[in-house]
Amino acid sequence: MLQNRDWSWLKTWEAFLALILVIVIIVNSQLSEFFFGTDNLINVFQLSIEKVIVAIIMTLIIINGEIDLSVASMMGFAASLFAWLFERGVAPELAILITMIVGVVIGLFNGVWVAYFGLPSLAVTLAGLVGYRGAARILLEDRSVGDFPAWFDSLGQPDWLGPFSAGIVVFAILFVIFAVILHYSAFGRYVYIIGNSRDAARYAGVRVRQVKMILFVLSATISSLAGLLIASRLGSVRANQAEGFELDIITIVLLGGVSIFGGRGTIIGVGLSILVVLNLRNGMGLANYGGNIQTSVVGTLLILSVLIPNMAQYLQRFEGFGRKQKLSPSSSSD
Amino acid sequence: MKRFTLLIMFILMLSSIAVVGAQDDVVVAEPGQEVDMVLLPKFLGILVFDQAHEGALEAHEELENPGTLEFVGPGPGEGADAQIPFITSAVTQGVDAIMISNNGGEVVEPATIEALEAGIPVVSWDSPVTAEGETVFIAQVDFDETGQVMADMALKLLPDGGTMAILSATPDATNQNEWIEALQAVLADDPETYGDIELVDIVYGNDQSEDSYNEALGLIDQGVDLIMAPTTVGIAAAAKAVQDEGLCGEVLVSGLGLPAEMQGFVEDGCAQDFALWSFVDLGYLTYYTAYLLATDAIEGEVGETFEAGRMGVYTIEEDPTREDGKRVLMGPFSIFSPEDIDNWRVELDEE
Repeated sequence: MLQNRDWSWLKTWEAFLALILVIVIIVNSQLSEFFFGTDNLINVFQLSIEKVIVAIIMTLIIINGEIDLSVASMMGFAASLFAWLFERGVAPELAILITMIVGVVIGLFNGVWVAYFGLPSLAVTLAGLVGYRGAARILLEDRSVGDFPAWFDSLGQPDWLGPFSAGIVVFAILFVIFAVILHYSAFGRYVYIIGNSRDAARYAGVRVRQVKMILFVLSATISSLAGLLIASRLGSVRANQAEGFELDIITIVLLGGVSIFGGRGTIIGVGLSILVVLNLRNGMGLANYGGNIQTSVVGTLLILSVLIPNMAQYLQRFEGFGRKQKLSPSSSSD
Repeated sequence: MKRFTLLIMFILMLSSIAVVGAQDDVVVAEPGQEVDMVLLPKFLGILVFDQAHEGALEAHEELENPGTLEFVGPGPGEGADAQIPFITSAVTQGVDAIMISNNGGEVVEPATIEALEAGIPVVSWDSPVTAEGETVFIAQVDFDETGQVMADMALKLLPDGGTMAILSATPDATNQNEWIEALQAVLADDPETYGDIELVDIVYGNDQSEDSYNEALGLIDQGVDLIMAPTTVGIAAAAKAVQDEGLCGEVLVSGLGLPAEMQGFVEDGCAQDFALWSFVDLGYLTYYTAYLLATDAIEGEVGETFEAGRMGVYTIEEDPTREDGKRVLMGPFSIFSPEDIDNWRVELDEE
């Protein structure tokens, strides 16, 4: 019963997003005859690809009832570590490998506190947000490190594979993999069950700690990869790289209909939300709105994305209160 | 000495105008052509960039351009890549010219190259992109000369030597980085004159008042004798920090500043000599150059000579301070000293 109701509600939210997307695309195409050009459509993704890559794993984390605020600092730290190693003459291939391994280790570190010591992920990853950024600043200080090999820089540019950059290819692959994991695997079901109720999950025999551990390791590792992708796209690294991205990433996920309280949300919703946010930013750019206005509009969207579903839910409950009670008296624990 | 240099420069400029004027190939802009242009500052909300916008608008009206002049850019404090979406949007919109003060080192280069490949001239101003990533750079002043001017101001303020620290904008700001390098070169090349001035630190306030203020406090705590800030945001923040700490005259403040923002500090003895050029003129000259490029009146090749409205005749030349770079040199420097504040004091609008 619970499943059914969730599904129908999400369907409307996704329909709502799809509607907004259509409107945004129509407006954009009016703004510029070049909107539908391949170059622009690739640009729409290209310029934010690292954020949306991390948004995929953030979706699972939030559905799981946790949060990872350290992702952007992790991106910056990974890029800084890579640049620092490269500066010291380490071969770039090896530097990438080391960076990714450090990403896994940091993920384990984050995960242990949350999964095994039961600390709130908000606090643990807030510490990470500050700490990993600090580590990046220690490595690079105020410097800007660049001059990476051409093959590395080309990863971040269009035309790496067909018209796509490596980031877009990585995104496409991860999106499909995580859609399958979340919606068609036992692991995915555990993610939802834990997000709905940690205790219920434990009594049902779900390995709560293991699931959380895996999610935080994936989060830090994917963030490291995303950090390297920014480094390749920009061709240089500074310690403040990706600063503040965590808010954009969480905005995209919440706008995608994922509940900040856990247990609800779909990859498809987040995919639509990604398209809405990116096209909206692109459109505002084409309409010559400055950075401040763009940020405010996306911020307003975030507020709406939290308000509307909650209000809708409230109204729904209010209207159908009697009927639902009759049908499923046991669902009151929701 | 400085006045002498200025005088020489002035004479050279006049003579170059005279020589060029004698030739017939000075390109004059044909007004009334429809050209859509984008003026992209490092950040919005900084007075000097607003002044450049003002200058560009003046040229826009003068040339009776029925097209649009958009003044867009990132909000303060955004990252090195924040200008990229504005460049790609401009390309998508199919504008006819992009004028950019680069805040991202080489980070924006792929985006501006994309614009150039789409046939859109990219005129950099204030802070250049790269030789490959721009059509031409409108240099406010000679970059090597900036180093010399800052070294001379430091020497005047620290005649018996002392410690100097630099408070710059962002670490990726091409113009500030070149000026700092030039300053370091001047100090290193002439130890006889500048040997007693010790450059002890370079810090970055990211062209944000608060960051710059905090960095300045850090420098004051280090006990430096002179804070040299090659950015208008930085010098004002440094003067404020010195004032708040009650150390006016003990910690000296110099660099590149706006008279309107600095005169209060100079009157109180919290800031000393500073230099700048007119950002209104810079915006005006940039607009003329971009308009001529967009209307195919000039190609952006070395040796081309054109008239920029009220400012006179300019020539595209090889940039001696950047390999393969092309520039239009505006100049000259104006130097603002406490001694002759009566000559440069500006009437502030009371609000």
